[in-house]
Amino acid sequence: MRLMERYDAVVVGAGPAGSTFAKIAAEGGMEVLLLDKKKEIGSPVRCGEGIGDAWVSRVWPQGIPSACIGARISGAIVFAPNGKSLCIRASHTTGFVLERKIFDKYLAVEAAKAGAHVLARTMATSLIKEDGRFTGMRLKHMEEEFEVKTDLIVSAEGMEARIAREAGFQSLATLYDVDTCVEYEMADLPCEDLIELYFGSIAPRGYAWVFPKGNQLANVGIGVGGLTGANPKKLLDSFIEKNERFRKAEVIEVKGGVISVGEPVKEKVKDNLMVIGTAAHLVDPTHGGGIGLAMESGIIAGRVAVKAFQKKDFSKKHLMHYEMAWDAREGNKLEKRLLLRKVLEKLNDDDYSNIIGEISADDLQKVLDGNYKSVVAKVLLKHPSLLKVLSALL
Amino acid sequence: MSEIEKFRLDERKCIYCGGCVSVCPVLAITLEETRIICDQKKCTRCRACEKVCPLKAITII
Ligand SMILES: Cc1cc2nc3c(=O)[nH]c(=O)nc-3n(C[C@H](O)[C@H](O)[C@H](O)COP(=O)(O)OP(=O)(O)OC[C@H]3O[C@@H](n4cnc5c(N)ncnc54)[C@H](O)[C@@H]3O)c2cc1C
Repeated sequence: MRLMERYDAVVVGAGPAGSTFAKIAAEGGMEVLLLDKKKEIGSPVRCGEGIGDAWVSRVWPQGIPSACIGARISGAIVFAPNGKSLCIRASHTTGFVLERKIFDKYLAVEAAKAGAHVLARTMATSLIKEDGRFTGMRLKHMEEEFEVKTDLIVSAEGMEARIAREAGFQSLATLYDVDTCVEYEMADLPCEDLIELYFGSIAPRGYAWVFPKGNQLANVGIGVGGLTGANPKKLLDSFIEKNERFRKAEVIEVKGGVISVGEPVKEKVKDNLMVIGTAAHLVDPTHGGGIGLAMESGIIAGRVAVKAFQKKDFSKKHLMHYEMAWDAREGNKLEKRLLLRKVLEKLNDDDYSNIIGEISADDLQKVLDGNYKSVVAKVLLKHPSLLKVLSALL
Repeated sequence: MSEIEKFRLDERKCIYCGGCVSVCPVLAITLEETRIICDQKKCTRCRACEKVCPLKAITII
């Protein structure tokens, strides 16, 4: 395989984070190598594929090709254990359920068109350190092994984060701070244009979801807290069995995975190194969504990398601008979401039913926007016994 | 000397999601496409992978 001996940046992982970074860096004139160990970028999928409209328009203001979109979504419906539900619906598109096999490939193609070198079926196996500095990486492409030199190593490895951890980043996921998930893509399952979320003991510390993908397809999954010991496959099978509407639905694909719902990795840069996307645990802790955050971190880190390239300074001190810009932009929001997750995980079935029975769609929107106080006050008025659990949000 | 088997994978259940890789504190596990490979020598039997595996395909012995 034709590879150069050195690159300005080597990006490990061609998911939403890595491909977005590679595009920005290549546009900035950098010689970039984007590699992924998968033989086909985008496949297999380990994702519910849902993303808010705001992310897509922020990162791709010109829009994304319709082939990347399974379905357009106009809201969400949340189910309590007692069957009560709460629906927020808009008259416009509020989100998408993507077709990530196509979307991820599209992002890699965009990176290639911007001038990045892309190579699938190529695994980064270890780092090269010289005189105390990371200067390159060992790669394996099929039966061939290579060494490449680079000024900048970018870990966009997703949850596995082996290279990031080898470099000393705190990207190890602990059981308490992950959800473990199983998901079926199901056909012949009519749905509205809403994402559905089911809370309570059907999914300990997590939730069950139905994300419609259009053409009567949907991702139907369950995630549970990593420490709960719950078996997501068994729970998913029983969720499907107990619900009449899945009677005719067929399983087209079995997916699964583990996702961080904890705190972002604090240190995201070192000399000649950056860690972006889910490898840095940049995931929303309340629902495990990380596609948008991955792309955003790719953009922010990419811009900083281009500046570093122009100044020929890939020191931690300079790359630090990525970490600072990230923290300023998303740090607070993610902290608030983590707080919410830690409250939600204490609720039992009755609590969920009481809360969902009490609040309105507007209240739910407030909670999603991070304005907890007035909603908590309203719930406490009717259910004062929840004070102990909910007080953290006041 | 033959290696002691600590990490056992039921390949009938594994969907190679790599979840086990992400929680292994000693980087003993790698995912290569559809193969999960465990360096038995590195494994400390902490059982994080066994717990987190969504398909319950792993047994630590
Ligand atoms: C079951 C499940 C459901 C989810 N649902 C949603 C959802 O509905 N919406 C949402 O926004 N998020 C969801 N997420 C999270 C989302 O999938 C991730 O946050 C997102 O994919 C992160 O993007 P990324 O680019 O950081 O990493 P990834 O998409 O994980 O990409 C990392 C890439 O790096 C490659 N790689 C890793 N190590 C190496 C190596 N050493 N050498 C070469 N290549 C390597 C991998 O092959 C992979 O392609 C879900 C996650 C799970 C597990």
